[in-house]
Amino acid sequence: MASSSTSSSGLTFKLHPLVIVNISDHYTRVKSQMQQPSSNSNSNSSSNSNSNSNDSVYGCVIGVQRGRTVEIFNSFELLYDESTHSLDRTFLEKKQELYKKVFPHFYILGWYSTGTDAHESDMLIHKALMDINESPVYVLLNPSINHAQKDLPVTIYESEMHVIDGNPQLIFVRSSYTIETVEAERISVDHVAHLKPSDGGSAATQLAAHLTGIHSAIKMLNSRIRVLHHYLLAMQKGDIPCENALLRQVSSLLRRLPAIESEKFQDDFLMEYNDTLLITYLAMFTNCSSTMNELVDKFNTAYDRHSRRGGRTAF
Amino acid sequence: MEPFPSSVIAQKTWELENNIITVDPPPSSTPPAPTTTATATTTSPDPASDAIFCYDESAQAKFQQEKPWANDPHYFKRVKISALALLKMVVHARSGGTIEVMGLMQGKTDGDAIIVMDAFALPVEGTETRVNAQADAYEYMVDYSQTNKQAGRLENVVGWYHSHPGYGCWLSGIDVSTQMLNQQFQEPFLAVVIDPTRTVSAGKVEIGAFRTYPEGYKPPDEPVSEYQTIPLNKIEDFGVHCKQYYSLDITYFKSSLDCHLLDLLWNKYWVNTLSSSPLLGNGDYVAGQISDLAEKLEQAENQLSHSRFGPLIAPPPRKKEEESQLAKITRDSAKITVEQVHGLMSQVIKDILFNSVRQSNRSSSEPSGPEPMIET
Repeated sequence: MASSSTSSSGLTFKLHPLVIVNISDHYTRVKSQMQQPSSNSNSNSSSNSNSNSNDSVYGCVIGVQRGRTVEIFNSFELLYDESTHSLDRTFLEKKQELYKKVFPHFYILGWYSTGTDAHESDMLIHKALMDINESPVYVLLNPSINHAQKDLPVTIYESEMHVIDGNPQLIFVRSSYTIETVEAERISVDHVAHLKPSDGGSAATQLAAHLTGIHSAIKMLNSRIRVLHHYLLAMQKGDIPCENALLRQVSSLLRRLPAIESEKFQDDFLMEYNDTLLITYLAMFTNCSSTMNELVDKFNTAYDRHSRRGGRTAF
Repeated sequence: MEPFPSSVIAQKTWELENNIITVDPPPSSTPPAPTTTATATTTSPDPASDAIFCYDESAQAKFQQEKPWANDPHYFKRVKISALALLKMVVHARSGGTIEVMGLMQGKTDGDAIIVMDAFALPVEGTETRVNAQADAYEYMVDYSQTNKQAGRLENVVGWYHSHPGYGCWLSGIDVSTQMLNQQFQEPFLAVVIDPTRTVSAGKVEIGAFRTYPEGYKPPDEPVSEYQTIPLNKIEDFGVHCKQYYSLDITYFKSSLDCHLLDLLWNKYWVNTLSSSPLLGNGDYVAGQISDLAEKLEQAENQLSHSRFGPLIAPPPRKKEEESQLAKITRDSAKITVEQVHGLMSQVIKDILFNSVRQSNRSSSEPSGPEPMIET
């Protein structure tokens, strides 16, 4: 049973976009294979692709846990046995071994599935994984495409022991998470998401691409600030009751600006600025000397024809 | 949300520039679903673009039998890489740091295109020192392919990828030998090279896909693809072998669910875009590039001073070569500068956004940012 209460374990979750794309790809693949049963002779006989009438796919997520932070880096597929409602254990171990060779730092953190909500049957799988990791996470992706939805349809559940009707039971509780990324991941996600021009183009298009990226990010920031602003205005007018906790948060946020304001920062910043200007200057220099060189050579070639002296002629 | 007209125009322009062809729905399999190209109002996922995810085993087997590539060394011309494969390869390449890493790609063929659906890493390092680094990982490969087939990924291995951290996307001598071996025994096979350092520095993905020509084949002269700078210590290796392979065009594709998720991901992602600081992360790389450029300049200078003493004796082609050497250096320096300036622009913008709260009284010390002075 999924409850809508939030987790109180105090763990912070960080999710990498690779996991999301992985799960989505797994789901799309299985779904498209099920739509074409005639061409796949042997895949239908195995239990995994036809097992679930509700089109769920299952897999395992791996990553690193450092103290209170759980960072989910990658994931891989698993076999689901419909009859016993459990995941194939030998398969899991085999895959885990393979992944350990390439990514020695990653541990199994939990499992994933697709669907709209966490079910009772999922708890069985969850419990089965508890011997690998005493507190596994359950990542649920909702694959139905709903354009009205503005938020990422990925939820992370943890299990907690709650006393319900006198019986201690494990139930799923939701946890919040942030999206974490490394620079290279961000660039490739950007690349695929917005399909930026992959070749060099001219300096103008590169500049345009770069600035467009920053511009959209700033637009998002602006819209979020507007929402807050609107809300605060409404509070001031008295349309909505004053919420002190929110006011405190906003006030602390505003107090963080300006972000950095110290002598040292200004110095470093200006130094970086100067370095870039110096590089630009040098590049211009190189450009000019190259053009000069070409000019001189052309001049020489033009003049050489008229004089028979070897070595330096006009120059 | 209605689409803004200017963004639609911009998208159409971009699509034209980059020759985007929306995948036509195959007539039989998909239910008729009227779809327009990527406006926010489509309510059903486009089944056509997801058709690429089906693996048609019999068609693939037939293609293997026919072997149309045996007659034409230039048969395969295009590569389509899925979003997942690209992401996995780039992340793996970056995780290696300055060490070359390699892996395999799975997928299928489609006419003259090779489609890469997925990629996985191999536990092998230092691939630039021996030809058959793949041999170490055969066991891993077999195990992994087996588990994959069980889990529903039916595609076969169609290529290998490896990284060239910091020195560009091309095939070194060892790579060329490896690929030639692969193309003899494991056709169809593709070689992909990724440079994670340049990716991060330039802000766009540096990737190249190559196939080698068979031994002794003289390729028709083809136009040089996008120029990239090669560090001095590698330039010989590059020059000797650059005629033995050709590069293929790369396009990317993603499923409708991927599209949807990535769009939504942007809601959380914009923070990372704004907070990324390429200048800070790439200081080493840029310094290396500049010193390499300085060496090249010295070399060019020496060559130039030699030619001054014999303009009549020196054959014209040699002069042209030095000129183009200097022109190359100029282009390299322009590229480095442009990247630096972009990085600085981000920093200045962030400074204005977050720091100039109390500076509204005095005139701001930073104007909107230096404009790039180099036009190529």
